[in-house]
Amino acid sequence: MKTHQLLSILKFIFWVLFIGFLIKAGALVFNFGWSAWNPEGANNIYLGLDLFELRDASIGQFVSVGSLLITIVSLQAYIAYLVIKITNVGDITHPFTQEVAHLISKISHTALTCGIISIIADQYCQRLIKKGFEIPLTWGGKEFLFLAAIIFIISKVFQKGIEIQTENDLTV
Amino acid sequence: MSIIINLDVILAQRKMKSKELAEIVGITEANLSILKSGKAKAVRFSTLEAICKALDCQPGDILEYTKN
Repeated sequence: MKTHQLLSILKFIFWVLFIGFLIKAGALVFNFGWSAWNPEGANNIYLGLDLFELRDASIGQFVSVGSLLITIVSLQAYIAYLVIKITNVGDITHPFTQEVAHLISKISHTALTCGIISIIADQYCQRLIKKGFEIPLTWGGKEFLFLAAIIFIISKVFQKGIEIQTENDLTV
Repeated sequence: MSIIINLDVILAQRKMKSKELAEIVGITEANLSILKSGKAKAVRFSTLEAICKALDCQPGDILEYTKN
């Protein structure tokens, strides 16, 4: 399969992911907001996520868990958006540009932020579970940190690629 | 940069235009302009050879080293 076709398919997949994350974030904002006023709504916040017990016990902790979840999903949507931007500005015949390097670096930083927030959220939920609450959520903080590290290395390699391409462009 | 390109001088001596040289050597005018302005990071031996052949000169006539 040609690289151009592969990139088009990836671009489509990331558009689907981006829209999916946006819908998820929007649904979470609406349902957490709704459940804050109406506790029964916490029975099924998003695809069967039941936080009724937590909402009933403490609205503060319920809002905290909700805020963390919405932040992480929003950051995931932002990462998908940045990848779409790369496919838009990137030119496969001339791939090494400062703009693409900047976007890759941004993805790395966003993934790092997402990882740190996920770990904080995970620790927070572990504490709540120890208190006896049932929180059926998995955060995956370590995976995001791993992803951030890999993308950071790729961004550094990319910077070197820009230098080489510039030198190549200025070779007569 | 301490390497000076004297291509303009040689071109004037040979009464040849940049466009003409670019055509003979087989490079674009934009690339020749990069070379003339001293912005080039490197010169291929094949390009240098073609320029010397077209202008009937030595590499030393085109390139000159000066201390900063």
